[in-house]
Amino acid sequence: MHVEDSAPIRVMVVDDHPMWREGVARDLAEAGYAVVATSGEGRQAVRLAPAARPDVVVLDLQLPDVSGVEVIHALVAALPAVRVLMLSASGEQQDVLDAVKAGATGYLLKSAGPADFLAAVGRTAAGEPVFTPGLAGLLLGEYRRLAAAPPAPDSTAPRLTDRETEVLRLVAKGLSYKQIAARLGVSHRTVQNHVQNTLNKLQLHNRVELTRYAIEQGLDG
Amino acid sequence: MSTGRSAGRGGGSWQAGGSSRAGGGSRAGGGGRARLHGPLWRAIAVFRVAALAYVAVLIAGNAGEYAHPVVAWLALATMAGWTAYTWWAFRDRARRGWPMLLADLAVTAGIELSTPWVVGAAALADGAPTLAVAWLAGPVLTWAVAGGRRRGLVAALILGAVEVTVRGGPNQPTVTGVMLMVLAAVAVGHVTRLTVEAEGRLQRAVELEAATRERERLARDIHDSVLQVLALVQRRGARLDGEAGELARLAGEQEAALRALITTGAGPAPGADDGAPADLRAALSAYAGAAVSVAAPADPVPLPAPVARELGLAVGAALDNATRHGGPGVRAWVLVEDEPAAVTVTVRDDGPGSPDGRLTEAAAQGRLGVAQSIRGRVADVGGTVTISSVPGEGTEVELRVPRG
Repeated sequence: MHVEDSAPIRVMVVDDHPMWREGVARDLAEAGYAVVATSGEGRQAVRLAPAARPDVVVLDLQLPDVSGVEVIHALVAALPAVRVLMLSASGEQQDVLDAVKAGATGYLLKSAGPADFLAAVGRTAAGEPVFTPGLAGLLLGEYRRLAAAPPAPDSTAPRLTDRETEVLRLVAKGLSYKQIAARLGVSHRTVQNHVQNTLNKLQLHNRVELTRYAIEQGLDG
Repeated sequence: MSTGRSAGRGGGSWQAGGSSRAGGGSRAGGGGRARLHGPLWRAIAVFRVAALAYVAVLIAGNAGEYAHPVVAWLALATMAGWTAYTWWAFRDRARRGWPMLLADLAVTAGIELSTPWVVGAAALADGAPTLAVAWLAGPVLTWAVAGGRRRGLVAALILGAVEVTVRGGPNQPTVTGVMLMVLAAVAVGHVTRLTVEAEGRLQRAVELEAATRERERLARDIHDSVLQVLALVQRRGARLDGEAGELARLAGEQEAALRALITTGAGPAPGADDGAPADLRAALSAYAGAAVSVAAPADPVPLPAPVARELGLAVGAALDNATRHGGPGVRAWVLVEDEPAAVTVTVRDDGPGSPDGRLTEAAAQGRLGVAQSIRGRVADVGGTVTISSVPGEGTEVELRVPRG
């Protein structure tokens, strides 16, 4: 794996289940990653992150003290270059969508096998989005919700191109990037870019919304 | 007749009743039963006091003409004591049994039966009121609330017979009085039955709410512990061979099944109102598992309940078809798309698909039954079905229902 190339990739594991946390940390260490910190609480993770300087944070969305979304906001604010791969034990729901909008670039179910998990960490570190079909379905739904939102006063709402919609639909239907590339007659890299774009637009929109909200609050107060 | 002793006992009990009030009050607030039934018993107590006041007014006005006016006042004291005692006694459900009901009837009948001696036959014939007058109806109402229409009717007839005996035979005002008691017994008994039924419904609603809360709590617990451990077992065991690997695979299957179980909890109960819109996601989430991925929007996908049900069954048929023709290792993906004009559900599997034209035809024949069942269900709710099979890429079934 490419982790042997230079300095090992620094990973932080945040999960409130100790057995799971240790297991994941061991797998990562065996695969050549540097596990720089582990934590069972969101607030502690946010405090540790600036000192541990992880490249990738493997984050359980269900934490006992604060929500995964809050942790992602704080992590991204403290370390703008950090990549967040989130895990959850239950299926894809609103909290997964919120986490993606907050800045997570990867999502995996906890039931994924060790090989899938390690590959996902590697891809997250390389800046590639890691999608489950379920997450693609959530994103499709979110773009359609934004498009259908009653009298769209704001032209800033992100839209997908036809090609991006097509790619997301194929991801949601379980096709691999390779299969999608073959079906659409484009390169693997192009498929990846399309997926990346669907994520970027939504995250950008979310940041704009948050800023606008902050300004409005500031003006009102 | 030992009216003095009775009055004394009644007075003592009244004090006891006063001291136990707080306890009775908190009991009454405790169960759903007492919440609805309590007001009926309180209403009877109030009726007895009002009737007693009327009796007092009549005795004060007429005692001069009675044969034994002093005894009349003692009878009034007895009635006051008994009124107070029943007020206390009937507060507690434990004291509403036969002993109190019979004692109540006996005391009331006894007072009324003493009328000819106390008032005197002459005054009675002159049209003087009986001793108990309206107070006579107390046991009738009590029996009706305690045991419904039939028991109330029995009390009304017994006291009616007493009234007729006291008057020395039936006459127009007496029969009218008895009829009023009978009607009161029937009406109050009926209201009581309605109350009991309402209490039953309230009780069931409370139980249902508790069960729902318990289920949500269980879902949280399962999520926090069992799911995590099962996922861990699957993960750690996946690299092992033989039995351990098999155990890991089983743990994975159970994890997926449990996850589906706790996420479907939000769905509408079977037999829910067909007019209410149903969330299509709830109808489909049951299929999610180790081999089936269900992708859907984060927000509910509302459809008329019958439409959601038929779509759910059509998806189930498509998934059955995929596993039957693709073998045990086949995986499937369900995608739910909610657009303003239509709802689209796509079911894709990674089975063998159809390698060439001849096999496509054969496969189409083999799948005719399934395809028709899917098409039939979706057509019934105004939708369309597209089935496509790409060699090597499995089969894709697209179900599309326009929003009407």
